[in-house]
Amino acid sequence: MTKDALKDYVAGHYEGKLTPLDTGRFDLWFEVKAGDLVEVAQSLRDDEQLKFDFLCNIGGVDTTERFEAVYSLASTVHKHRIDLKVVMSHDAPEVDSVQQVWPGANWFEREMWELYGINVKNHDNLTRFLLPDEWDQGHPMRKDWDAPDFIRMPEPGQ
Amino acid sequence: MGIIKKLPVYAEKVPGGGIVTTSIEKVLHYGQACSVWYLLFGTACCAIELMCTGAARYDFDRLGMIFRATPRQSDLIIVAGTITKKMAPRLRRLYDQMAEPRYVIAMGGCTVSGGPFYYDSYAVEKGVDHIIPVDVYIPGCPPRPESLLEGCLNLQKKIKQQKLSDWQK
Repeated sequence: MTKDALKDYVAGHYEGKLTPLDTGRFDLWFEVKAGDLVEVAQSLRDDEQLKFDFLCNIGGVDTTERFEAVYSLASTVHKHRIDLKVVMSHDAPEVDSVQQVWPGANWFEREMWELYGINVKNHDNLTRFLLPDEWDQGHPMRKDWDAPDFIRMPEPGQ
Repeated sequence: MGIIKKLPVYAEKVPGGGIVTTSIEKVLHYGQACSVWYLLFGTACCAIELMCTGAARYDFDRLGMIFRATPRQSDLIIVAGTITKKMAPRLRRLYDQMAEPRYVIAMGGCTVSGGPFYYDSYAVEKGVDHIIPVDVYIPGCPPRPESLLEGCLNLQKKIKQQKLSDWQK
């Protein structure tokens, strides 16, 4: 399936659930509501035309106004990819686990929870992952994070 | 042959005999400086330069520097690469396992001050001297093999200048 055909197919079959985003990037981007995520993910994986059977990565974004989780999907059958974006509030970011769809999501979600403080519901092992075991300084990838020995890059010209 | 040629510098010949007199201090530290075995410890790109220095072109062996895969047999630890806060306790443990006298070379910007990770990093230790005492600092990102060799020669100089009385401290 070509990129345009894929875009039309996904936009047509998931109308109201997946909203295409015009990012100018190479891969297709779709925004999905947090509540629909697991259902849509399951459907994307099982659809014979799509077969998104591989979750490449889960990323977190802190824009200081909201949190985003980005899911990069690929199909090893049809050799195509898309990205899903979930937008969450900045006060209480929370997203459902997609472990039941792609078991490999386990570690990605632990990492996202640890570095961004995005709570993952229905995760079976949401524990300390990459940071040192005795870490007690919160979620370091947040934009408002600070620590005694943390030195922020000065603004240009300062 | 080097030691034979240089020996007169350290020793006085007794006229007419095959006997030389020197001090234990000089011989001991000369021998120590000429067989500094280093621990294979590379955590980032500096390790590539370290390997290059150990290979045929730069030939670390001619300084008497041979790599060891265990801290128990090492005299020197060349900290080649970024040390994260998670790695720091492991580095300290390796250092503690080395037999005394032991020396440390901080190789590259990351180990000197945190280098490119000085700003905006929550994970990198800003200078390896927060964890273990450093004898020689080699800046560079990464330093060329020539810099590393220069650093090692400086370390040898430092070893040769030691006094036996320093040991009691």
